[in-house]
Amino acid sequence: MATEILARRKMRISRSGLTGLVIVIFFFLLAVAVWAGWAGQNWSAADGERWASPGSTWWFGTNQLGQDIFERAVYSVRTAFEIGIVVSLLSTALGAALGAVAGWRSNTLADGTVLWLAGVLDSIPFYLFVAAVAFALQGLPWAMHVAMIATFWTATARLARAEVMKIKSREFVLSARAIGLPSWLILMRHVLPNTLHILLIQASISFVAAIKTEVILSFLGLGVQDGVSWGLMLAESTQEVLAGHFNNFLAASIMLFLLLLGFNLLSDALQDSFDPKQAAL
Amino acid sequence: MTCWGKLNPVIPFTAKLLTLCLAAIALLAVTACDDRSSAEPGADHSYRIYRHAMDGAPSSLDPAQASNIYANFLAVNLYDTLYRYKYLARPYQVEPNLADGLPQVSSDGLIYTIGIKPGVHFIDDDAFPNGQGRALRAEDFVYSIKRQFDPKTRAQGTWLWQGRIVGLDEWKENGSDYQQDIPGLKALDDRTLQIQLVAPFPQLVHTLAQGYSAIVPREAVEHYGQEFAIHPVGSGPFKLQRFNSAGAVLLRNPGFRQEPFSLEAEGFDPALHGSYGLDALEGLAPPFTDRIELEFIAEDASRWNAFLAGELDFVKVPVSQFDQVLQRRDPPTLEATLAEKYHLLANLESGFVHTDFNMSDSKIGEHPDPLQNVRNRALRCAIIKAFDWPKRNEVFYYNIGQVFPGIIPPAAPEFDPQQDQSSVKRDLDGARALLAEHGWNPANLPVLEYGFPSSVTERQMFEQFRSFLGDIGYPPEKIRPLTFATYGDYAKAYLNREVMLVTTGWTMDYPDAENTMQLFYGPNASPGSNSANYQNDEFDRLYQSSSSMQSSPLRTTMYRNMNRIVIDDCATISGVSRKLILLWSRNFRMLPDRSFVGGFFFRFVHTGSPGATTVEQVP
Repeated sequence: MATEILARRKMRISRSGLTGLVIVIFFFLLAVAVWAGWAGQNWSAADGERWASPGSTWWFGTNQLGQDIFERAVYSVRTAFEIGIVVSLLSTALGAALGAVAGWRSNTLADGTVLWLAGVLDSIPFYLFVAAVAFALQGLPWAMHVAMIATFWTATARLARAEVMKIKSREFVLSARAIGLPSWLILMRHVLPNTLHILLIQASISFVAAIKTEVILSFLGLGVQDGVSWGLMLAESTQEVLAGHFNNFLAASIMLFLLLLGFNLLSDALQDSFDPKQAAL
Repeated sequence: MTCWGKLNPVIPFTAKLLTLCLAAIALLAVTACDDRSSAEPGADHSYRIYRHAMDGAPSSLDPAQASNIYANFLAVNLYDTLYRYKYLARPYQVEPNLADGLPQVSSDGLIYTIGIKPGVHFIDDDAFPNGQGRALRAEDFVYSIKRQFDPKTRAQGTWLWQGRIVGLDEWKENGSDYQQDIPGLKALDDRTLQIQLVAPFPQLVHTLAQGYSAIVPREAVEHYGQEFAIHPVGSGPFKLQRFNSAGAVLLRNPGFRQEPFSLEAEGFDPALHGSYGLDALEGLAPPFTDRIELEFIAEDASRWNAFLAGELDFVKVPVSQFDQVLQRRDPPTLEATLAEKYHLLANLESGFVHTDFNMSDSKIGEHPDPLQNVRNRALRCAIIKAFDWPKRNEVFYYNIGQVFPGIIPPAAPEFDPQQDQSSVKRDLDGARALLAEHGWNPANLPVLEYGFPSSVTERQMFEQFRSFLGDIGYPPEKIRPLTFATYGDYAKAYLNREVMLVTTGWTMDYPDAENTMQLFYGPNASPGSNSANYQNDEFDRLYQSSSSMQSSPLRTTMYRNMNRIVIDDCATISGVSRKLILLWSRNFRMLPDRSFVGGFFFRFVHTGSPGATTVEQVP
């Protein structure tokens, strides 16, 4: 009976994971279409009527400037993926590198420095810190990315450090050291590859966090400077909602909700599949 | 509380007690009302309250810091200025306030002699001996202007008189010693002032109607020190009861001079003002309101909802509500249900919004090579031709802004309603032809950097601008945003000539087109007020000649010629004067103003009908 329940649960998890994957792939294809120039290219043209209702010409209606909300919402998928990919890759890489060094050199100055730095950054309220960095660097096209990478790496570093500390006392690592391989090679060839499951999950979590943070920063005027994003659309909608026009708000909110839902389902499924306890079932 | 607590158990006793309580309340109310009505001529024995919403808050109540409309509103009510603007006359006209008449000006236009009304006192305050406000003297004005030039004050109004009054700048350079006299700024006696100018400055009288020129008593400044910013001691129509970041409460100054209100003197026009019930004010002595409750509500939705909920008597309607509020835009007409409850006024701003080309940038402005210079002018003119003013007006100003050509806005007396409108008419074919004729094509067009402080509206204006230029074939990727976190950063950048296209608004300090002409006067180039860095010898020559002239048809013609020069040089995409939609309860007889009259209108707010807000308790 217990086994049956567990089996059903696992099935449910995998179904939700599959749903998440489908959603993510759908959005990814949209982003590819925008990158390729097949969709969303007319996002900046202001050639419609102000606040036109959704219809065959304007699928999601138009905004105050007469811009096509559908085009803008679709182009924003590209913005979301660009930020998600750049931030998740770089913050995961940075966190993995610093965490690996800290774990390999545990209880040394290098370890202490990385832990101190991560502790200091973690002690600052997250959104306040990201907003402050983005504000300070405003004018630089990559200000928002730098702000996010500067904060996202700490969690990955802590996890990578713990995993490396665990792995470095394993026999295959001891053997590698015994035959005289240099530390960097052992780390690169034998240790880090064994932390990939953690890094993969962290990357997916960072991806979601980056998209959410971008929306918040753009809403505050500290995010995307030249282009469009769901955050900018939501910021525009604050004025439109007052006037009784919800198309911009709904389009950006629903697209954001769906993409985040997909990523959350997918990362949950990844987490479960990499969980040894689940694997044992 | 006590009364209600004993109501149920013992009815006969309760009835007695209730009667006693009601009698006590009635007695208190009658006493309170009597106390106030005794000070109000023609009053109907009610305590009058006016609740006004402002979309920003002043950071200081010191007139030396009255640099924005919010601080100015309070400064001119808590303090006295020598002059003010007539309540109803348009174009705006200067009217003596504390002065006993218009200044006597010497024939060379250099010496102004101004008399002060007798019997004016500062409010009672601990700063004075025995706490009793003393009489205001001409020397107080001298002190107040000196204070503007004292570096310790960190005053923001210095620019109004800098280089204008004989000896004032030297007084500052010599250490701002208040014992030291200034040759050009003298109190001849307690009620007579004399100002000697370095050169004729016809706008001087306007500067004396600004909050910056409000008269403060030295005792209070020294008594309160830093606290003076929140502890005003003036002679204005109101005194402060409470002030914080959320609002302020002003109470009628019972000692304010009694001057009967004259409809004729204030510029009353039955055709324009008849529906506001102002004729009933004839002969009454302002201020007509006992208490003004100011709410500082920056958020549009909150301000609007508070007004609809009846918590405010006046509101500036958020732009996003125009469609809901207005039945018709031209002329602005209220929806029927709202019109039953509220008066409406479409208040044209005393300024304008314009986008300047940075003429010191050789990619778009002046170029040392004459040929390229001609090409750059053609490019600027093509951009101006591509600009769709009706669309801009429709999207951002709901079609009730007033688009006009050049740099003399409609609020200026020198505005010419008959002038040529071609510079604000869209001409896409003309723009394309101009580009082609001068060898511009998508490949060689320069990258334009459009600067703005980061905000939704500014960004949308940029996107619209990019869209306009797209219609003449300007590649969108060549029109880039240059964003700044704050307006301060943006201003710093354009004052350093780092922004190619500068969009700013200018609110006139006084109703004289000189105030906008100086925005394009060569010597005022950045970091001065000429953010276009525009240089034209003919323009500068006309400016120099006209700036010392009194208002006259000749001066108006010169201003209009200067306007033409700027338009012909295609130095700016200009402009639009915004209209503010102001609503107020029909219970009030008043005509609000956000322009030159500004805060001066508070003294004329009258609680006209029985439905208006009154209280029966001492606040």
